[in-house]
Amino acid sequence: MKHKRTLTAVAAAMAGSLALAGCTGQSAGGGDTDDSTLTIWHYENEDSAMGQAWAKAIEIFEEENPDVTVDVEKQTFEQIQKNAKIVLTGDDVPDVMEFNKGNATAGQLAAQGLLTPLTDAATERGWDEKLSGSLATTATYDEQGLMGSGEWYGVPNYGEFVGVYFNKDMFAEQGLEVPTTLDELDDVLAAFKEEGITPLAEAGAEYPLGQLWYELVLAYGDRALVDDYQLFANDVDFHNDAMTQATEKLDEWIDKGYIASDSAALTAEDMGVSFIDGTYPLMVSGSWWFGRLAAETEADWGQFNFPGNTLHTGSSGNLWVVPANADSPSLAEEFIDITLRPEVQNVLATEGGLPVAGDPSVIKDERTRELTENFQAILDQDGLAYYPDWPVAGYYDVIVSELQSLVNRSKTPAEVLDGLQNSYDEGKADLLDG
Amino acid sequence: MADTALTDRRARADQRPRTPRGTRRRRAPWVGYLPYLLPGAAAFAVVIGYPLLTNVYFSLFKWRGGMAPLRWNGLGNYADLMGDEKFWTSFGNSLAMIVAMVLVPTLLGLVLAAVLFDYLGRRFGERVSSVLRATYYLPQILPVAVAGVLWNWILNSQTGALNVILRGIGVETPPNWLGDPATALPSVMLVLIWVQMGYPVVIFMAALQRVDPELYEAAELDGAGWWDRFRAITVPQIRPETFVVTLTCTVAALKVFGPIYVLTRGGPESSTLVPSYYSYLSFFDKSQVGYGSAIATVLTLVIVVVALIILGLQNRAERREREGV
Amino acid sequence: MAVATDPRPDLRPAQVRATAVDSRYRRGPGRWLVLAAAVLVGLAVLAPFGIMLLNAFKSPQDYAANGPLSLPSSLYLDGVVAFWERTDFPVKLWNSVFISALVAVGGALLSLLNAYAIGIGRVKGRLWIVALFLLANMLPQEALIYPLFTMAQAVGLSNSQWSVIIIFTVIQSAFGTYLLSSVLGTFPPALLEAAALDGASRWRILWQVVFPIVRPTLSVLMIFFFIWTWNEFFIPLVMLTSNDTQTIPIALASLQGDRMMDAPTINAGSLVSLVPAVIFFLIFQRTLTRGVTAGAVK
Repeated sequence: MKHKRTLTAVAAAMAGSLALAGCTGQSAGGGDTDDSTLTIWHYENEDSAMGQAWAKAIEIFEEENPDVTVDVEKQTFEQIQKNAKIVLTGDDVPDVMEFNKGNATAGQLAAQGLLTPLTDAATERGWDEKLSGSLATTATYDEQGLMGSGEWYGVPNYGEFVGVYFNKDMFAEQGLEVPTTLDELDDVLAAFKEEGITPLAEAGAEYPLGQLWYELVLAYGDRALVDDYQLFANDVDFHNDAMTQATEKLDEWIDKGYIASDSAALTAEDMGVSFIDGTYPLMVSGSWWFGRLAAETEADWGQFNFPGNTLHTGSSGNLWVVPANADSPSLAEEFIDITLRPEVQNVLATEGGLPVAGDPSVIKDERTRELTENFQAILDQDGLAYYPDWPVAGYYDVIVSELQSLVNRSKTPAEVLDGLQNSYDEGKADLLDG
Repeated sequence: MADTALTDRRARADQRPRTPRGTRRRRAPWVGYLPYLLPGAAAFAVVIGYPLLTNVYFSLFKWRGGMAPLRWNGLGNYADLMGDEKFWTSFGNSLAMIVAMVLVPTLLGLVLAAVLFDYLGRRFGERVSSVLRATYYLPQILPVAVAGVLWNWILNSQTGALNVILRGIGVETPPNWLGDPATALPSVMLVLIWVQMGYPVVIFMAALQRVDPELYEAAELDGAGWWDRFRAITVPQIRPETFVVTLTCTVAALKVFGPIYVLTRGGPESSTLVPSYYSYLSFFDKSQVGYGSAIATVLTLVIVVVALIILGLQNRAERREREGV
Repeated sequence: MAVATDPRPDLRPAQVRATAVDSRYRRGPGRWLVLAAAVLVGLAVLAPFGIMLLNAFKSPQDYAANGPLSLPSSLYLDGVVAFWERTDFPVKLWNSVFISALVAVGGALLSLLNAYAIGIGRVKGRLWIVALFLLANMLPQEALIYPLFTMAQAVGLSNSQWSVIIIFTVIQSAFGTYLLSSVLGTFPPALLEAAALDGASRWRILWQVVFPIVRPTLSVLMIFFFIWTWNEFFIPLVMLTSNDTQTIPIALASLQGDRMMDAPTINAGSLVSLVPAVIFFLIFQRTLTRGVTAGAVK
């Protein structure tokens, strides 16, 4: 049996390379070398909102294309993230694939010519109308792999954003209301601390602390700063007002004990679990926690947008991309189109998946509706400001490391900003160089 | 008896390679063994040789991987490396890794193997020592990612077992094992010892099998105690395995990646950064394939030098033993 | 070529007295202390596994509410079952077993051949040859992966388990060559001379004289190779791109997403994947103590 597999692999490889040799240029529609199979790779859990919505999309696709077999390969996040660059250079690639959005990820693939441009399909099928403003920013990339302009390379189905989860029971115990400004949030934090409760669940070893920092930057900053920081519109001086105030604010919170002093090595998992079990009343993190909190939290809980901000950490969800060496690009485009249809988008809505083109009125569950409406409010203000580690490759580790120093009190805010500045400038030069 | 001798001689004559008596060519005996090396050499060239050369080749360029263009950089990557503080920190941490993965496990493994095989095996039977050996080896079977999760449950500063116990006995602020740069490296070393110690135990116990029990009997009859027997017989007899354990553990220590990745990601504040992890960051996170290749090449060079030194020592010891005998 | 008598030296294993419980040693309290100490070390080693067991059968709600150190309030198997079905575990299990077993055997065989030439044949320049082979083990895997992937593609072995098998056979045999050649370097020359005098060819000497004596070492190699390959993650991750060829560590990684992880199921899944490796170890452990000794020189 193994020999047969080897022979089939060899045959497939040969057939694939022969076929590719036959069609040279990239065409956005037609030019399929194989129109009988659609291979999809993704890494979302089946019972997640995305998993269910995509199952529905596959169902619809199969109905409308009875002579096409859909082959779904469930991958792991790490596999696709680390290996896409290597694997996509080969012939054994899927037709449509889920991939992370942003310069450092999809942008890189686009810049290296590993993805099929989807601009024609986007205009023909009206995707550019369904996805607007900051949602569409992550769909387009230029030749250097910077988002915001250039060809369409990916299509998101959903969005994600960072807000504040709070334990309603603990709030009620202290007689506290949901804060609407940053000052009110300060008061809430102080109130909890007075009672001996550390208010903010945090994780210094992974993304959460960085996202909190970024929320504060957005609290003091504006869209121009975001454009400079994320899209390289202008140079960024990290010692500007907004970032300095944000870092000092965070430092103040650490000083006052609003964040546990030993958070440096805690992981997002630790943070989530400690919120769920009621150790901390507040958790600043993203919509991806929603499903799990709903399933596991015993106390009454809710979610509100970061108080006082018009800009919020968040972006479109992961993108559907079509590899350059895919052998059924037009089938891929059809599939993507189906995922944007109301039937599929509404599945996302009801499951708390934050659809890009869904109808909140179909949502029955109150908390889910609250989450979706909060997201909609941000979209209406065009308030998505992406993530702090996006601008430059490898920035995630830099942010984690610098903020760990802050929590461990081994660096001052000014020194942290210096560290962030250096890596940012280095990485930016690298990116723009070639 | 005479018949068999005759048959023997005839059989031998049949089997010996035929060389005409007058023109006996002196062919060094080892040449005949060369064919045995062929499969290994061929496979090696393909799977290791070619990629190694490619890696060195990449290190001379600036490259982002995939289908991005390669830009010639000569020895620029290496020059950058020499001035890179993190690079030197990572090699400094390697020394700690060597302590945790070579010194302690080898010594501990040797003692445990001897105790298990020699002492307990004789007094309680083989079954007991086998069970204990399997127990010590179990951490080696566990995938590193899972070991990371488990140890996080122990070392976690808030919910970890260790600190829960410490708080239970009255320690108010137990150390932040993995989050404090001062304790992070020792904590990682502890985990590495736990992971690594089973390996020498298994190798040494197999090695002890080779030792002629008559040697022990004779020594015992002469009145030698356990420690004397250990020193005079056990240690010299298993010298080849000792060298092997030392070398392989050293290479593993210089190359260590998995446990760092799952426990601390090189942090906090680069206190547990190691060369292999730094190379990985360059390769995948920062997409600086050329730089990552340079780090990998330097790391390989260091490993090769260290290995050659140890191999040289081993060779010398072996030669001395042969001549002594 | 009939031979009337067996010309080989007597290689029947001498009576192994080292491991049988000798009545002489039964008495004395000291041994109990030593045993207790060894067991204590064993328990310390097992402690993390205890925590693993505590959490493998816990529901996520239970885990979130009560933390990792509590006893599960009830036995929860849904997570494992869901994992089993979602990753099509039996397929992954078979793939892992297939790859690891072939590498174990192939690696041991390759090591034996190499080590025979180096350790016993004393090939010229053997120090350098061993060092060269060891290079396979010294190279960090990130350095190898790009070229290996393109090569596999070029010969049509992409997404094939054979690429993984070949790669790991070479990598593991580097260690095996080193260990075996070190051991064979101290092989009693008297045995070899005796066999050569009786006119045995190199091939026969290998299989009839050397092989029986280094069997424990070969068993060690096979155990190591199996377990090391079983847990290999990175190279299979890149080489095997479809669900039907992937191995267990890749399946386990699916429990760890971009931002979320499912700790209880990871534990349960790991427990399940540990079982075959442990079974393999226990089975082969017995071959380690079959008591073939070098005392047969006499």
